[in-house]
Amino acid sequence: MTMDRRTVLGVGGAAAVGVLLAPGIHLIAAPPNETTATGANRWAMLVDINLCASECTACLDACRRENNVPLFGDPARDIHWIRKVEVQDKDRRRPPFSIPMLCNHCEHPPCVHVCPTSASFIRKDGIVLIDEHRCIGCRYCMIACPYKARSLVYFPTKFPKGGNPRVPIRAKGVVEKCTFCVHRVDDGQIPACVEACQQSSKGAMLFGDINDPQSEISQRVKTLRTETIRADLGLKPHVHYQGL
Amino acid sequence: MISNYTVIEGKSFRYWILLGILGGVFLLGLGAFVYMEVFGHGVSNMNNQVVWGTPHIFAIALLVMASGALNLASMATVFAAKHYKQFRRFSAFTAIVLLVGGLAVLLLDLGRPDRLLLTMIHMNFRSMFTWNVFLYSGFTVLCFLYLWSMFEHEKYVKIAGSAAFMGRLILTTGTGSIFGVIHAREVFHSAITAPTFIAVSLTSGTAVCLLLLVGTFHYTGREMDTRLVQGMRNMLTFFTMLVLYLFVVEKFTKFYSPAYYDVENWVLSGPYSGLYWGGVIILGLLAPLVILFNPRSGNSTGGVLTAAALAIVGEFAFIAHVLIAGQAYPLQLFPGHEISSVFLDGQSAVYAPSLVEILLGLGGVALAGLLYLLGIRFFRLLPKVAVAPDDWHPWNP
Repeated sequence: MTMDRRTVLGVGGAAAVGVLLAPGIHLIAAPPNETTATGANRWAMLVDINLCASECTACLDACRRENNVPLFGDPARDIHWIRKVEVQDKDRRRPPFSIPMLCNHCEHPPCVHVCPTSASFIRKDGIVLIDEHRCIGCRYCMIACPYKARSLVYFPTKFPKGGNPRVPIRAKGVVEKCTFCVHRVDDGQIPACVEACQQSSKGAMLFGDINDPQSEISQRVKTLRTETIRADLGLKPHVHYQGL
Repeated sequence: MISNYTVIEGKSFRYWILLGILGGVFLLGLGAFVYMEVFGHGVSNMNNQVVWGTPHIFAIALLVMASGALNLASMATVFAAKHYKQFRRFSAFTAIVLLVGGLAVLLLDLGRPDRLLLTMIHMNFRSMFTWNVFLYSGFTVLCFLYLWSMFEHEKYVKIAGSAAFMGRLILTTGTGSIFGVIHAREVFHSAITAPTFIAVSLTSGTAVCLLLLVGTFHYTGREMDTRLVQGMRNMLTFFTMLVLYLFVVEKFTKFYSPAYYDVENWVLSGPYSGLYWGGVIILGLLAPLVILFNPRSGNSTGGVLTAAALAIVGEFAFIAHVLIAGQAYPLQLFPGHEISSVFLDGQSAVYAPSLVEILLGLGGVALAGLLYLLGIRFFRLLPKVAVAPDDWHPWNP
């Protein structure tokens, strides 16, 4: 038995052409982005590492509570929106220090650049977010992020008892990360980690609008020597550190 | 020169057994996909540092091999090596089936494969992945056009074949650039990554064509002039040396800069150095070259096929090394400092493939194999007798 090769090649070719052209056809109109964010604000964070104690985890705990971030009990696959990193120079000539590490909400975010579906996007006010309904779980953003700020949801999740109803949980198979507590920021509040740090610790963390010349963060970044992590990559991160 | 193309009979017990085995492995792969889809990627050994595991190794190895498989056809159409004209159909068809196998694995390893349509609705043209969606589908279209012109309209073969040749170069540049453009990953961030992928596609593509051609001709009782095998052996030799050359240039450039000492020392002596030295350098490059240059083994079909099989092992090892070592090398948040955290910062990631990942990857290989077996059964892809011109004498070791 032989098939009519003309037919099969034609159908195969047509299918391949269809797949080639399909990406250009918008089958479903995307809804307009609903956000109150404007380019007038540029949210940023400043961490004074001289005030950040190694053993303090107030910011981590507050983040986990606020954003219903699950722990699976598997260190390699647990989800961390913010973590404490202990740093020691290799020559042991300087004292070690501890810093909170989170998404740096870069001005040129590589995660946004590589995301094939634009599920990772940057708001006008500079907050980098993930549209969890658009994420296909390709994990290219995790490869591209130099800060290891993103986690894949490796296991099925369910809403925690006593969890925060303002933040929906993320389903397995998508990538999640720090949102700068965007739901709070849009309500005029500061992120939960910063609030916890200011209330229960020494107030190492500061959050504000770096575009507002009168804001405290703006004043401190202008007058004090601050640095960003891996500034050499040219990403213009918006988490600044004082005392590095 | 070219005898009639014929389909294979496909009635032998061996053919059905082979179909059955590949069908079984394909079903196991599908089962692995369903298992991972239901329970999440937690059932794999991937983690938040090695986020692309064994399925990606299989997928990318097949995709790279696919573009290289077209080389035989390009040799005839673009480089006027007329004695390979008889393998053009086989070459273009093999490229398509390998591409389909690789893409299937890539797509089924997504965290949310049910949302695949979104890649066609929302596109980000700054993403290498988006470009690859077009490159893969575009390459398939070009291969189909090429096949169609070979079957029906010989006058279009030159243009279709040349377009497919350009397509394969761009395709593999795109695949290599998925890694090469990522600044944060020091192991594979390099402009030479994409050209190296092209060179590896040439070795593995030529190798898979050699194995499939000699195997198919042998088991279907067809005749092939030994000089054709020798010609392909010479291509494999040259391409293997090309890969070795690119490796040397890359290492030379990186070791010239003290900024790369840490990462390169880690690559050459760290936890994944066994894969690099044993898999990529020894099995994938040096062993084939020794076999191919040896007058005894290099002139025996068995020796050439062994070298071809090793080239494919080397390709898988190369992709595995780029992927796994590239991700396992700890991100340098503070270059020149030691770091640690509960998120395993500063540590080389530990990764070993899980069964479910291996089965998913093998499922893609089996799919490509099944399509090939069906292809030679239903399409006239191969000549009954493969001959070479009398005045053509390829170099022999």
